[in-house]
Amino acid sequence: MSNPDSEFRRLETRRHFFGRSSTGIGTAALASLLNSDLPADETNSEGAIPGIKGFPNFAPKAKRVIYLLQSGAPSQVDLFDHKPSLEKLHMSELPDSIRSGQRLTGMTAGQKTFPVVKSPWKFQPHGQSGTWLSDLLPHMSKVVDDICVVKSMHTEAINHDPAITFFQSGHQQPGRPSIGAWLSYGLGSDTQNLPSFVVLLTKNTFHEAQPLYDRLWGSGFLASKYQGVKFRSQGDPVLYLNDPTGGTDATRRAMLDRLAKLNQIREEQIGDPEIASRIAQYEMAYRMQTSVPELADTSDEPESTFELYGEEARQPGSHAANCLLARRLAERGVRFIQVFHRGWDHHSNVQKYLPTLAKETDQGSAALIADLKQRGMLKDTLVVWAGEFGRTVYSQGNPQAFGRDHHPRCFSIWLAGGGIKPGISYGRTDDYCYNITENPVHVHDFHATMLHCLGVDHERLVHRFQGRDYRLTDVHGHVVQDVLA
Amino acid sequence: MLATLWPLHAQAAEVVFNRDVRPILSNHCFTCHGPDTATREAELRLDQRESALQKDDSGESAIVPGNVNASEVYRRIMSNDPDERMPPVNGPGQLDAQQIAILKAWIEQGAEYQQHWAFVTPKQGEVPDVGRSPLLHNDIDRFVLSRLQSAGKTSAREATRETLIRRVAFDLTGLPPTIEEVDVYLADRSQGTYERMVNRYLASPAYGEHMARHWLDLARYADTNGYQYDTEREQWVWRDWVIAAYNRNMPFDRFTVHQLAGDLLPQATPQQRLATGFNRNHGVTIEGGIIDEEYRTEYVMDRLVTTGEVWLGLTIGCARCHDHKFDPISQKEFYASYAFFNQVPERGMRGFTPSERIRSPLAESTQELDTELAKLKEELSRPVNIDDKLDEWIKQIAASPNAGWHIITPVRMTSSGGSTLTKLDDNSFVAGGANPRQDIYEVTAKTESTGLTAVRLEALTHESLPGGGPGRHTNSNFVLSEFEMTATSLQDPKKTQTVEFDRAIADYSQANYEVAKAIDGKSGNSGWAVDGPTRKENATAAFIASAPFGYEGGTDLVFRLRHEANFATHGVGRPRLSITRDAADTLSLRGVPADVRRVAATSKAGRSDSDSQRLHDYFLQHYNPNKALQRRIAAIEKRKATAFPATMIMQDMPQPRATHILNRGEYNSPTEQVTANVPAVFPPLREDAPANRLSFAQWLVDPGHPLTARVAVNRYWQRLFGVGLVKTSEDFGVQGELPSHPELLDWLALEFIRSGWDVKHIQRLMITSATYRQTSHTGAAAYQQDPENRLLARGPRMRMDGEEIRDAALAAAGLLVGRLGGRSVYPYQPKGLWLELNNRPGYSKEYPRGSNDDLYRRSMYTFWKRTVPSPMLKTFDAPEREFCTVRRSRTNTPLQALLLLNGPQFVEAARHLGQRMMKQGGNTIDDRIVYGFRLVTARTPNPDELSLLRDAYAIELKRCVNNQEETLKVLQVGESSFDPQLNKTQLAAFSSVARLIMNLNEAITKG
Repeated sequence: MSNPDSEFRRLETRRHFFGRSSTGIGTAALASLLNSDLPADETNSEGAIPGIKGFPNFAPKAKRVIYLLQSGAPSQVDLFDHKPSLEKLHMSELPDSIRSGQRLTGMTAGQKTFPVVKSPWKFQPHGQSGTWLSDLLPHMSKVVDDICVVKSMHTEAINHDPAITFFQSGHQQPGRPSIGAWLSYGLGSDTQNLPSFVVLLTKNTFHEAQPLYDRLWGSGFLASKYQGVKFRSQGDPVLYLNDPTGGTDATRRAMLDRLAKLNQIREEQIGDPEIASRIAQYEMAYRMQTSVPELADTSDEPESTFELYGEEARQPGSHAANCLLARRLAERGVRFIQVFHRGWDHHSNVQKYLPTLAKETDQGSAALIADLKQRGMLKDTLVVWAGEFGRTVYSQGNPQAFGRDHHPRCFSIWLAGGGIKPGISYGRTDDYCYNITENPVHVHDFHATMLHCLGVDHERLVHRFQGRDYRLTDVHGHVVQDVLA
Repeated sequence: MLATLWPLHAQAAEVVFNRDVRPILSNHCFTCHGPDTATREAELRLDQRESALQKDDSGESAIVPGNVNASEVYRRIMSNDPDERMPPVNGPGQLDAQQIAILKAWIEQGAEYQQHWAFVTPKQGEVPDVGRSPLLHNDIDRFVLSRLQSAGKTSAREATRETLIRRVAFDLTGLPPTIEEVDVYLADRSQGTYERMVNRYLASPAYGEHMARHWLDLARYADTNGYQYDTEREQWVWRDWVIAAYNRNMPFDRFTVHQLAGDLLPQATPQQRLATGFNRNHGVTIEGGIIDEEYRTEYVMDRLVTTGEVWLGLTIGCARCHDHKFDPISQKEFYASYAFFNQVPERGMRGFTPSERIRSPLAESTQELDTELAKLKEELSRPVNIDDKLDEWIKQIAASPNAGWHIITPVRMTSSGGSTLTKLDDNSFVAGGANPRQDIYEVTAKTESTGLTAVRLEALTHESLPGGGPGRHTNSNFVLSEFEMTATSLQDPKKTQTVEFDRAIADYSQANYEVAKAIDGKSGNSGWAVDGPTRKENATAAFIASAPFGYEGGTDLVFRLRHEANFATHGVGRPRLSITRDAADTLSLRGVPADVRRVAATSKAGRSDSDSQRLHDYFLQHYNPNKALQRRIAAIEKRKATAFPATMIMQDMPQPRATHILNRGEYNSPTEQVTANVPAVFPPLREDAPANRLSFAQWLVDPGHPLTARVAVNRYWQRLFGVGLVKTSEDFGVQGELPSHPELLDWLALEFIRSGWDVKHIQRLMITSATYRQTSHTGAAAYQQDPENRLLARGPRMRMDGEEIRDAALAAAGLLVGRLGGRSVYPYQPKGLWLELNNRPGYSKEYPRGSNDDLYRRSMYTFWKRTVPSPMLKTFDAPEREFCTVRRSRTNTPLQALLLLNGPQFVEAARHLGQRMMKQGGNTIDDRIVYGFRLVTARTPNPDELSLLRDAYAIELKRCVNNQEETLKVLQVGESSFDPQLNKTQLAAFSSVARLIMNLNEAITKG
């Protein structure tokens, strides 16, 4: 590390900074300071912050991911997995041969009968592809030719906390890094004005919604700088972004310049490169104070945007507004954007609650696909729509006001964009929508496939912790070649 | 990194197995040819010499000592045939040329194996002779200097005194030195001044807090249960135990035994049982669908894994699903150790027992309460002369004809939810119009009275209310979450107080919604309700103040009725408020009726019998002196009983639970049954000891144990120097990093044991070493050559932990509240962080921000919510505490800059620092700047720095003069007020300078 070139770079950095303190530090210099784990000469010329050497491992199809996470577990029976066979089976008892010893949650384990309940909603084929979708998703039905519905997802977890923790980190118990943290660690960042992993939370309306936890975007055993940064729809969009004393840009700039000079005096005496790095962090903070409000302010969007995403997109914190924000983040180089929507956990009254949830998410999700496509961004943006497991075909409680319990053995998600084959449905389930009959895709496989689209070999993205090389897919996972474009 | 640490050349004289060879074999070969029987290929294991030398069926040996060419291992490594080549072609574990050269040299030199260093009991070695030098303070320095000399380097000079006292103060107490402490230290030029300074900090109560704070990361301590809704727990009494133990300098062996098995000690005391809370700090689930045994299994796993990391420095959890890939711990041995922790009578679902109410060792003595109680009980036992008391009371009534309740006249009424509040002729007001889900009424009134003792709230019915009763909901109920009040002097508005209520009475309360819940400090569903659906009547409550209130010259009273329950539109429909000066312990809701007063005012002789009887009856019914006594006794007893929550502790079941190996670590796949035991690689349990948790704990602290002392001293070292002598302080196993100074580590471990596991002693040794006292100001080249300072050629320098950063800001500002222990507190945090992740009614609430002292307690007392940790601490790398953390990361991000610049806690602290500069810093601007600078950094600014700060002050002052509005904004951040005697613009300018100083890299860095 003591090569003369990087020493030169460091001096150059300082010169850059003090020569340009009224506009802030130079981009390349900033990059070299930002990632103090890396020697300065590993930062590239565009000012991006690189990840691990050798990553991506091969040419990526997707540069970024927008992941619309549906917490609570949406019902595949009522949304994606069309089962005409249920017409006949409606109100019949689920045969033991189908359940075949499946462990049930504590909520229905004591139930005496397991009557099958068909979906009360109609399904129709849509688009060129003829993809079947429930009538609950009128907007999604217009973009079916751009998405790939995977109907054969499965997981081991049968309850929310372990299942969503598993989906987000590849492990049911807390402690592992989230997908976004792995990506920031492995691939670095394409932007210096924004974090590389951003989390958007949609306001919840369902009274029995499952909670979320910081660990879902946490960094686990990776350094905490890789954790997701929440962009909020109330208060400061990023915590502590605004000066509570109401200083102007000029006073902020003056303060930072003074601070930098004082720190600089100290750096010369001590020599610790940490000081230069601290100066750079204040500069990036300063830039975020401009870039974040600019990003969050959608008033520069034309009317057509709101026609596409719906009027709801004007309400901060709605799913539609977050989908729009996700697109704006993607445009600005954020690598991993995760939108969390809650409220799919319908243990009773599916008929009452599911339409509300479907409506909340349908238009925004479809608009995002269409919008990315019209901007030419869908080809290198991977879009994911997924919950943590599925729901049972049998009724929980009274079939008149039927609920559906957790179902890990099969459920549906969809993928679109960068690297994904559009307009297909993948995998099959049995007549009861209970077991997978063809092409099962495990959560680990899903992770492996997502990383693959980003040019990452899931077996190579590892981190040594406590003497062992850990990875997102643990010791499992296969790339699902069939869904790749 | 290791390459620079270990100047290693394969061609150099001697290859050392542990240092040079094992890391290669471990990383590249052991996965398939190591301890794990399940994945072993070709029946070959290379981690044991006899196996590696054994001839296989074809007569080949993997390794033939002294003969590279006959060694199959070497042939395979060098092979060009992709089918033969090892490690497998295309696999991740390729060897480089240097590694191959090392293996070759090792085989040539006889292929000697060594037991992994950490599994061998440390032996007393020679302290290296490095001659005499003033740079040597104790033996630590001899080890360090010897190493430096062999690398051709020297130590750095001693740091300045200001740097040293600040370094020591932070390292031992987590707080900056005060200016007085600095001055005393700078002035004392006598022998031993440094050691005295160190001892002063070791004796500070803040020492115990600081040490405990680090222990809490290891112990995964938190105030919530972690999983799903992350409900609350109260485990803080255990946390107090840790603080007290450190402050008493409890020897580490006892500290260990009490926490792991205090409950099993003969005649265990409550405090020893309390200590075992350590292994109940894991998460506990309440998720509806959960399978009980699955989670109970996780808790036991967590205990074993945590204990393994904390005391053994081993990643024992790796053997949960299969034999350990690298360390000699089989899956069977894992479950044999698991058996020690598998005996708790607990459940997976809501596994909150066993638990016990035990007092905090930091709590004030209850002696005062006991004395008071004895006095009251004695008084109660004495016969009472009712007639005397009655006469006394009559006199009181007669003397104060104006006593009783006085209805206040509302001056202003507002509703946070947009209800219309209309005043009626009887001075009640009725709520109408919008009916918000939640609502806060604020009512202002004035009074000339002083010595006010209580407030009465009448919830009256009204024809406009929908349900016929006193509430706004159609069921006519209300929930008054909280009743609050402030009193402000009309003459001097600076005099203002929040009126505290310590008792509430009501003529009616619904079950579980007792009126006391309206003054319990908890909002939400905790409040007063009156069975509105069935009871359509007025309801009356009175709130009795802890101390009389009201200012001479008149008082502004602001009442707040908070309706914040999850039941929507449960507001009080028509409130009316009254105040009284009646003695607090003889209050009644109605006050003394007019007819009773009239009679009391007549002379005794002039009263009719029936009048006298009326007085007598009324007195006994409402003012029975015994009743008042009984009430006071009950209140004190309740206070004593509920002062401490039940702490979750360890216990063993009378009939041991059978433990099985769990196939792939899964709760529902038990196989072979095992009995409790320790892994064979270690010394055995004492033969006469029962195979239980207590024996396990005592085994850990046996002086012959190879790991416990090493692991402990290494963590103390890590705390002081930033990196442990073993960098991987959580992993001393085969995959862990080798110690940078192995002989020093062993010397320290043995010294620790020799001293009787004296925690303060071993830290004192480190801190008084010349190694620790070196300057860290050694220039850029030194930092480049050894970024992590593994050779110790300079003093430690590192960014402080989040807790220290916040505490330091509060200390410099003079805001820090130094009280030890107690319930966790809720300092500032941005609104909505809890509810945005979880808003399920009954399982969620808004962050209940505290006020007053609670905003300024040390950060270790900040309520730790696992799923939403304090953003302040999280931003500075605090873990979630969902599991044991031995090393925090130390990152540097823009979010940290935003927090320090804009976080209200820091902006408020800067304002107080500015205020201190003005009030205590002297008279000149320079003096004041220097004073503030010293409060933060302990040193005096140099002329360049001072000149920059002086300019900053001048510019800021000008800006503040020109912009009064902004000035006021600066002064109003945070709950505390500023000193109105001070010139506002100057104060704002000094606050800005203070903010600048507090944002210096130096302010958050030690060293």
